[in-house]
Amino acid sequence: MTMTRRQLLRNGAALGAAVPVSLSTGWVGQAMAEGLAINGEIRVFGSDRSSSELARGLRGAGWRPVEAGRFDPLVLADLPRGTLAAGFTDEAGMALLTSQLVGRGRILALGRHGADGHQLVSQRGAVVDSLAQADSSWQAALGREYARLAQNPPSGRRDHNLREAGTAGTRELSFLVRV
Amino acid sequence: MSTQRILPKGVSEADFDRALAGLREALGADNVLTESDALAPYTKIMMAGADEDYIPSAAVMPGTTEEVQEIARLCNEYTIPIWTIGTGKNLGYGSAAPGETGQVILDMKRMNRIIDVDPEVCTALIEPGVTYQQLYDYIQEKGYRLMLDPPAPSAIAGPVGNTLDRGVGYTPYGDHFMFQCGMEVVLANGEKVRTGMGGIENSSSWQVFKWGYGPYIDGLFTQSNYGIVTKMGLWLMPEPPAYRPFVIQYPDLEDLDEIVETLRPLRISQIIPNAVVIVHTLWDAGTHVERKNYYTGDGSISREALEAIKQDEGIGEWNVYAALYGTPEQIEVNWKIVEQAFGKSGKAKIMYGEEAEQRGGGFRYRSELMKGEMNLEEFGLYNWRGGGGSMWFAPVSQAKGSETADQTQLALSILDKYGFDYVAEYIVGWREMHHVIDLLYNRQDPEETQRAHDCFSELIDEFSKRGYGLYRTNTEFMEKVAGTFGEPLREVHKTLKNALDPKGILSPGKSGIRQ
Repeated sequence: MTMTRRQLLRNGAALGAAVPVSLSTGWVGQAMAEGLAINGEIRVFGSDRSSSELARGLRGAGWRPVEAGRFDPLVLADLPRGTLAAGFTDEAGMALLTSQLVGRGRILALGRHGADGHQLVSQRGAVVDSLAQADSSWQAALGREYARLAQNPPSGRRDHNLREAGTAGTRELSFLVRV
Repeated sequence: MSTQRILPKGVSEADFDRALAGLREALGADNVLTESDALAPYTKIMMAGADEDYIPSAAVMPGTTEEVQEIARLCNEYTIPIWTIGTGKNLGYGSAAPGETGQVILDMKRMNRIIDVDPEVCTALIEPGVTYQQLYDYIQEKGYRLMLDPPAPSAIAGPVGNTLDRGVGYTPYGDHFMFQCGMEVVLANGEKVRTGMGGIENSSSWQVFKWGYGPYIDGLFTQSNYGIVTKMGLWLMPEPPAYRPFVIQYPDLEDLDEIVETLRPLRISQIIPNAVVIVHTLWDAGTHVERKNYYTGDGSISREALEAIKQDEGIGEWNVYAALYGTPEQIEVNWKIVEQAFGKSGKAKIMYGEEAEQRGGGFRYRSELMKGEMNLEEFGLYNWRGGGGSMWFAPVSQAKGSETADQTQLALSILDKYGFDYVAEYIVGWREMHHVIDLLYNRQDPEETQRAHDCFSELIDEFSKRGYGLYRTNTEFMEKVAGTFGEPLREVHKTLKNALDPKGILSPGKSGIRQ
């Protein structure tokens, strides 16, 4: 009864549990070693291949991804104001994420990725025509796109459906937000 | 794609800019949001409405009652409609989005002061931005032995917003409006009024005596748009010395009749004092199981798939979650009564303690909710079907077996016609039940979204024809549901609206009420 915050975090941590835990990524250290970050930090949530590829795309576009672990929407409230965050979650996590940002954060872009293609909604200008890249994954291409949108000013909602069959397996939901 | 500036209906761009300038001066620029990315979280709806129908023109975040009064005065001057939200967590009922495009969101989040908690008379006085988790933490830190009654999205939702929408929880204080006591309300003209005993300066009984003197008006400010509630009192349950949560499961759909007939006398006599839930298989499993793992065919989930879920999870077709509270001796006496009542037919499987914890389903999180502790487990239902679509269809029924069986069959037939699943529970009040069905659908699929809309609409129509009304609904269907309660009542609502808010600036369309 007294560990209320811990209890809350435990409950929150149960969300996004569809994402398998795999801590084999070494992209944080890699980013620091490469010294490429020129635009600042982005917290990257998730601990699977998709999030490490997303981080790779962000890093390639001049941002410093900081591993934030499995996504828990409730920790957004504890992040310093102005922090950029990106990552992947599930439907429950997305519902919580967007509701937690009401009045205290900005949604820059949201994505839905499945076997039938990608749907991207941006509040920061037009979305690229394709996430299909011959030399990289769609997650890394998404990272580059999110890197670009993070630098744009707000410009109203833009929807973009990219019908690129077979680019993602199970459905994944991505986000780029500022708290 | 839309980048056009959103304006309140009937308001010129120049007037809106003047109003915004006034609001920035009153609240500070940081508390007036107009940029699209800051407003985007206020546009995320889960109901089957068009996105473009629920976009705010701005959001304002007052920090004090005086600021709310100033907002009301300014919006009255420029005839700007405002839509009030507490913590903005009314997911599936409209979320934090406005009732219609162009309204300014009045977001009460910053008004999050816990003004008083009295451990002797077991009351609290709080502002609308206070969350259940915040109040829970406060009570724990103070060491008070008091319980809250959180709804399912407990930690992040707030007692004021949930009570004003007449929400429910799962402890003996489950009917939230029943345990509300005293309000402070800002009217459309900016005047402030305190209800009940609150009109008397320095009254010590504002949070203990609901009725005050003269007409009782607190109910006018629930599910309505007659004022902006800035403070609310509520009663808190003393923490009992002992607590026993338990589950009773039944194997067959038609067992609902027996469950309700057995439960009703126990509930009315307060042998079982809490807001019991009778949970169908798909809700009990749907918080942690995904549909695609059992069924990928067209239409509603098959009986074979449903039976497989019951088998794998070790749960029933109906799963009754309830609890006993009191001294250990009281609990033992009441437990014998419960066992005898439910044991008569031989169909019920009654469990508590380790046996209940080891089965599948939602015993652990239900046990927490029934003793007023926080969790977010029911958000898992959004993963059941996927696609971000959810609408709560919530008719009221008498606590009679024949009526609940009728409602269940009617819901099943309509949901099946449209290819949706019966993800449902009954929340048992003293004499009535809230039959809550989560119509889950893929909101990314326009055809499925339209089908969900049509299904919800037909549910309202067909239930209404049999005399069943909804206790609450989402903003897309407020007008339609209001229509089912008849024109005489709507005329009274309208008369009150015109008297209290003659320019119609407060949450136009809430519960179907307009000028």
